[in-house]
Amino acid sequence: MENTTIVETHGLTKRFGSGVLAVDSVDMSVRRGEVYGFLGPNGAGKTTTLRMLVGLIRPTSGTATVAGHAPGDPKGLARIGSLIESPGFYPYLSGRENLRVVADMASVKQKRVDEVLDIVELSTRAGRRFGTYSTGMKQRLGVAAALLKDPDLLILDEPTNGLDPQGMAEMRKLIKDIGQGERTVLLSSHLLGEVEQICDRVGVISNGKLITQSTVQELLGEEGVLVRAQPIEQAQDILTRIYGADAISRQDGAIRLKTKPENSVEINRSLTTAGIGVSELRPFERSLEEVFFQLTGEKQGS
Amino acid sequence: MIATIKAEWRKSRLRPGFLIGAGVIAGITILVYAANWYLALHPLATRGGDRAIVSLATLYPDQFVNNVMGAAFPIGAAVAIVLGALFAGSEYGWGTVKTMFTQRPGRLTVWGGRLFVFGIWMLILTLVLFGVGAASSVVVASFQGHAITGPAAIDLAKGIGSIWLIFTVNGAIGLALGVLIRQSAAALGIGLTYVLAVEIIAVRIINLINNGQFKNVTEQFVNQNATALTQSFTSAAFGAAPSPAISADHAVLVLAAYGVGLVIVAAGLLRLRDVT
Repeated sequence: MENTTIVETHGLTKRFGSGVLAVDSVDMSVRRGEVYGFLGPNGAGKTTTLRMLVGLIRPTSGTATVAGHAPGDPKGLARIGSLIESPGFYPYLSGRENLRVVADMASVKQKRVDEVLDIVELSTRAGRRFGTYSTGMKQRLGVAAALLKDPDLLILDEPTNGLDPQGMAEMRKLIKDIGQGERTVLLSSHLLGEVEQICDRVGVISNGKLITQSTVQELLGEEGVLVRAQPIEQAQDILTRIYGADAISRQDGAIRLKTKPENSVEINRSLTTAGIGVSELRPFERSLEEVFFQLTGEKQGS
Repeated sequence: MIATIKAEWRKSRLRPGFLIGAGVIAGITILVYAANWYLALHPLATRGGDRAIVSLATLYPDQFVNNVMGAAFPIGAAVAIVLGALFAGSEYGWGTVKTMFTQRPGRLTVWGGRLFVFGIWMLILTLVLFGVGAASSVVVASFQGHAITGPAAIDLAKGIGSIWLIFTVNGAIGLALGVLIRQSAAALGIGLTYVLAVEIIAVRIINLINNGQFKNVTEQFVNQNATALTQSFTSAAFGAAPSPAISADHAVLVLAAYGVGLVIVAAGLLRLRDVT
């Protein structure tokens, strides 16, 4: 049976010479064919982890298997495309010529260069020197280089960094398109909306530790209904009798009720029949941002 | 390895640094010939009569191998250090080291391909030096109405081999410093300071200690050997020369050892260090 995971780490740790513990015992698992979001604030250890996965940095301890091989193994690298941090190209060469250099290095046929330029929609500007490219064009060229090998696994480290809103939207669409089919995309980001829109599963890292790893839906939690009513204590008693104590919680003067939003009519009827005034009744869903701040212990808006 | 060589050649064939380096070598060779030609035709007036500083005979094609040796060192060596430092160090500044190390080949294969292409560039610079030297000597001979006779093929081959070795070893200093420091500016600064100042001062100081008791130490210095190798190419046309302290064979061995040593040290650093 074919292995369903394409990236697997156990206790992956990196302590730099300065004593800084950048990555602390990360156990991570990325399944084939999914778009995996690697989420964390700046300095959380995302880039260090990704650098370890492509063999640029050696772990202090722990193991990793990427595309069936140890990180940095030429056989594994042949199946991985990556864009780690900023795209690194020769400024005096054109975009196309830079891709030709990378294609030579990766033993990829030169005709693939024009194919990937088409994918990232950079064909018409590929003759310009890389040094004259805008940030968006540089990022696109980086993605094009990562696609040259037609990789099973694409590792993109904050690919929307430095892009304007339009560039970010275009890059998100590009990543979504690339992630169709059997290709796996491992995407790191500190932009929650981006991850929520693109990814099937996410891993949240903070202070070097992988705090959680699950689907976006699991992370957002169960759906529910938010109720504001007066008197609130009486409303809570009624709803507790109907839905049970486990389904009820209080937050900011409102009742959060774990139930399907379709039950809103029934909830409203129960409360109004008992003479309780309902001022707000709406479905609620935690945002990924809310979950993220809860998990990482960071304050929203700080 | 072939793929790596192709990639390294593709990226360096249009690199301005190499093209400028070749231009500098060509320019210096022409300048040396022009200055020597002028000095040969305009003897200094001295008390004992006119005395030519440069013999016109040294500028003819049969002597051009011996003549270009002077143009090759130290300026040619300095150019090689600058190119080596740029070739290795700028990969870190541009972030291309991570791009290349995450393709198919292993780190040592990438390094091997890079060294091969750098060696080719040093050969190109050597051939530029000899080509421009040969052309300049033909121009001088034509204007002076002297017969155009080339040097012996074996002398030409030895000369090309020697200059290639000197360029490559000095280039390896730049390469190793570029890898060690992980940037080009500091690497070329340190490399040039070493060649143009540090080694010269160190040799003078060591030779003064106990009336030259430790002279054999300075005979192992890289550019003492490079100088000895260039000075081993001479002929009667250049006048009487003192017997060299370092033999050409010793110089070749020491230079080769430096080249291999520097390349191995840099390979070790590349293989073991994290790319951050």
